[in-house]
Amino acid sequence: MELLWDGLRRGIELILGGNPDVYEISALSLRVAVTSTLLACVVGVPLGFVVGTTRFWGRRAALTALNTLLAFPTVVVGVLIWGLLTRQGPLGGLGLLYTWWAIVIAEVILAVPIAAALTAAAVQGIDPRVRRTALTLGAGPLRTHLAVARAARFAILTAVVVSFGRVLAEVGAAMIVGGNIRHYTRTLTTAVALATSQGDFGLAMALGLILLALALTVNVLLQLFQGRGDA
Amino acid sequence: MLSATHLRHTYGGRPVLTVERLTLERGSITALAGPNGSGKSTLLRVLAFLERPASGTITLDGVAVRSRGAYRRARRRVTLVEQVPYLFSASVLDNVVYGLRLRGLARPDAQARAGQALERVQSAGLARRHAWELSEGERQRVALARALALDPDVLLLDEPAGAVDRAAAAQLHRILREERARGAAVCFASHHLEDAYRWSDGILGLTDGHLGAVTPENLFRATLPEGSGSKVADVGPIKVVVVTDRSGPVTLAIPPHDVLVSHASLHSSARNEFVGPVVRISDHDGDMVTLTVDAGVDLAARITRSAMRELDIHVGTRVVLTVKALAVQVF
Repeated sequence: MELLWDGLRRGIELILGGNPDVYEISALSLRVAVTSTLLACVVGVPLGFVVGTTRFWGRRAALTALNTLLAFPTVVVGVLIWGLLTRQGPLGGLGLLYTWWAIVIAEVILAVPIAAALTAAAVQGIDPRVRRTALTLGAGPLRTHLAVARAARFAILTAVVVSFGRVLAEVGAAMIVGGNIRHYTRTLTTAVALATSQGDFGLAMALGLILLALALTVNVLLQLFQGRGDA
Repeated sequence: MLSATHLRHTYGGRPVLTVERLTLERGSITALAGPNGSGKSTLLRVLAFLERPASGTITLDGVAVRSRGAYRRARRRVTLVEQVPYLFSASVLDNVVYGLRLRGLARPDAQARAGQALERVQSAGLARRHAWELSEGERQRVALARALALDPDVLLLDEPAGAVDRAAAAQLHRILREERARGAAVCFASHHLEDAYRWSDGILGLTDGHLGAVTPENLFRATLPEGSGSKVADVGPIKVVVVTDRSGPVTLAIPPHDVLVSHASLHSSARNEFVGPVVRISDHDGDMVTLTVDAGVDLAARITRSAMRELDIHVGTRVVLTVKALAVQVF
């Protein structure tokens, strides 16, 4: 118990004391998380929308695939990306392994199914009258999709936030393809893992608190946004 | 204007709609009558080009509507007001403006026309309110205004009098007549025979997804004298004894399953007796048949198949129909 309290105290000291390492790691983590979430949502949200709203051959299979990919083990994604990006791999020439872009690639692959599956569920849950009403009032396909998206906007926003949460908290893939290199690819989660294994419990706690604070900030922002909208 | 032929519609392989022929004429009001679950809403959605029938042809002004593009263009001319309408999460005015903006009207013009449409349904005061703040009746009126604003060539309404009181129903009837005068083809679904009969130029009956050219059975117009209690109504060549406090023009309905069929006159308490030959026998699901008897006017009687066999009734058999005065419904 004492260990926990000591760690917590030291963590708060590190954060308040403006430890440059702590800030550098946090900044990189945020950069990776924001970039990956944006890229994942640009692909995943429209993909989920299409799977959720249109009928096509193989739709059921696509939904099953998406839902299965939700449980994709992160280390498996890490190993796959490592295999692609390593010098002997098919994309080895790009020289991306052990850069923060390698982490982004892995996180995008992990987050796309989340963004897509949750968006599909969101639009599938929308009242069928939304679509019919837009159509009968003369809306074309684009306007009709917009009406459905508007009705589902908060659920779609949740898909974005959950994707962000997954990316921010992910450690396995980031460790494998990023390498946890100080000043380059050390993110909050990989740093926590390292600090814990080195016995620096205070540092681990400090970084853990920052992770929690980031997640909290995002959720508070989301709530503010929802409150301002007319739900 | 809008017509459908050989329409078949299925949900998951199960047939839900069979319509051989249906036409909605320009400048007419057609009622679609039938019990709940008879397929009225489905038929309206198919006619509104919101669902594609499994087979069959729908034509608009004589041109078959088939391609996606044709469906899209047809939807610009045909509008459906659903039984429980959906209003977009926005102001009432924005809801009514929506379709007009889609048709390329500038915002001020669209708002002016939306305002007029809201006035027609006596809801101008609601314009600035948010859709959620409305009662069910108000939502229905706003949805009607939203459709009226578009001046549709074909106006389809699903149970438009569902959530309205008598005054609002009269107003709705006036609006339907105005739309007819404008040249629109109006069609509304109702499980309420009185509305269907009073408001329309023609009634189509829908039962279990089958559209019958027949009007609902045993429905007559009559004028009743003042006073209360037992009265005699002249229905064409026959007289019907009814018990009611209503007077003036009314609609009488004799439920076909309340009609007794016999070979000879019954000495009973029933006040109504009609005699005539069976002119038609139509089958129903299960063990029921409907006999149509020419008693001066066509009267339908629903009996079981075994009863028909026992009485040895065929087309041409002369039968006596007996109905209690209390069984006759007066609208």
